[in-house]
Amino acid sequence: MAQSKEQTGPVNVKLLLIGNSSVGKSSLLLRFSDEQWLPEDESSATIGVDFRVHKLDVKGRKVKLSIWDTAGQERFRTITSSYYRGAQGIILVYDVSNRESFEALPRWYSELETYVSKSVVKIIVGNKEFSRQVPYSDGQRFAERMGSLFMEASAKTATGVREAFQEVVEKILDTPELWAAAGQKRGTGLGGANGSAQGSMPGSINLSETQDGEGSSGGGCAC
Amino acid sequence: MPTELPYAADAEVSLSYDELEVLRLQYQKELSQSHVTTQTKFNYAWGLVKSPMREHQAEGVRLLQELYRAEPSRRRECLYYLSLGHYKMGNYDEAKRFNSLLMEKEPTNLQAQSLASLIDQRITKEGYIGMAIAGGAAALGTILLASLIRRATRK
Repeated sequence: MAQSKEQTGPVNVKLLLIGNSSVGKSSLLLRFSDEQWLPEDESSATIGVDFRVHKLDVKGRKVKLSIWDTAGQERFRTITSSYYRGAQGIILVYDVSNRESFEALPRWYSELETYVSKSVVKIIVGNKEFSRQVPYSDGQRFAERMGSLFMEASAKTATGVREAFQEVVEKILDTPELWAAAGQKRGTGLGGANGSAQGSMPGSINLSETQDGEGSSGGGCAC
Repeated sequence: MPTELPYAADAEVSLSYDELEVLRLQYQKELSQSHVTTQTKFNYAWGLVKSPMREHQAEGVRLLQELYRAEPSRRRECLYYLSLGHYKMGNYDEAKRFNSLLMEKEPTNLQAQSLASLIDQRITKEGYIGMAIAGGAAALGTILLASLIRRATRK
């Protein structure tokens, strides 16, 4: 259990939403945090990174979630990579009606290898549910192989959205490694710059040193 | 419970010296080879705008302005970070101008909406501080004047 904080104060948890562009990361977040939905023609691609704070109760504990919603577009990769540090949970989103977005997941996992420690909790969320191209079982099997949670959800109808966030937070609270360091190192501590380091995706520069396995900073966000 | 808006993620956190250095070196390298890619320039401009140092912010804004002119496909993010940069430098009119250009194109863009109210909030706040300073100065002036008059009349 998470015991890094006194029982009274809320537990701070940092989550990150990643995945290809227009799979519905922002829509899932908007549904979860504001119970809103914007139709596709009214929603715009995220610029760099967006952010929401959301409080919820999980297993009788008050949790303050800081959720970083990253742009899926390739050209923001360097920007978004600077927000990985200190994340305790990663929500990898694909669009159930877009096979390509599902097949891009392994690349997102290799990003994760670069930026976050192994103990970080991962959940794959298949969003949208309509005109299905990716069978449920495909998503489930892949998630299992990657040691990740899995869920299908629809930001539009709200199905499964709350549950997805809830599950990832529960798992985070149950992962002692994520709380052991208790370091409230905020934001941007990194060692020597590595000028030539290229990220795993084209156009991105690796801003951080690869973190060495053990639990990285907990509750990074200082908001 | 909804987020305490407004908020602009990139206005809050700066890069570390080393992180910014990675972006700067890449930019310098390409500059010396006299071919700077849009991506490199954008990354560096973004890092500069996030910096707490004013000269960094100004340089970032300058690069973004060049990108805005040269790369029509990058206009939306240039407008956003131009607005953010001016906001951080305290140029609220410019900040508003660039952000409204973005909102004209994307009226439902939540990030732009959030940035707009962030700017307005800051204007209001600094307006109060301005008034307080002006008020304080006026009060001080009155006291000085009063003491001068007193001294003058005592003679």
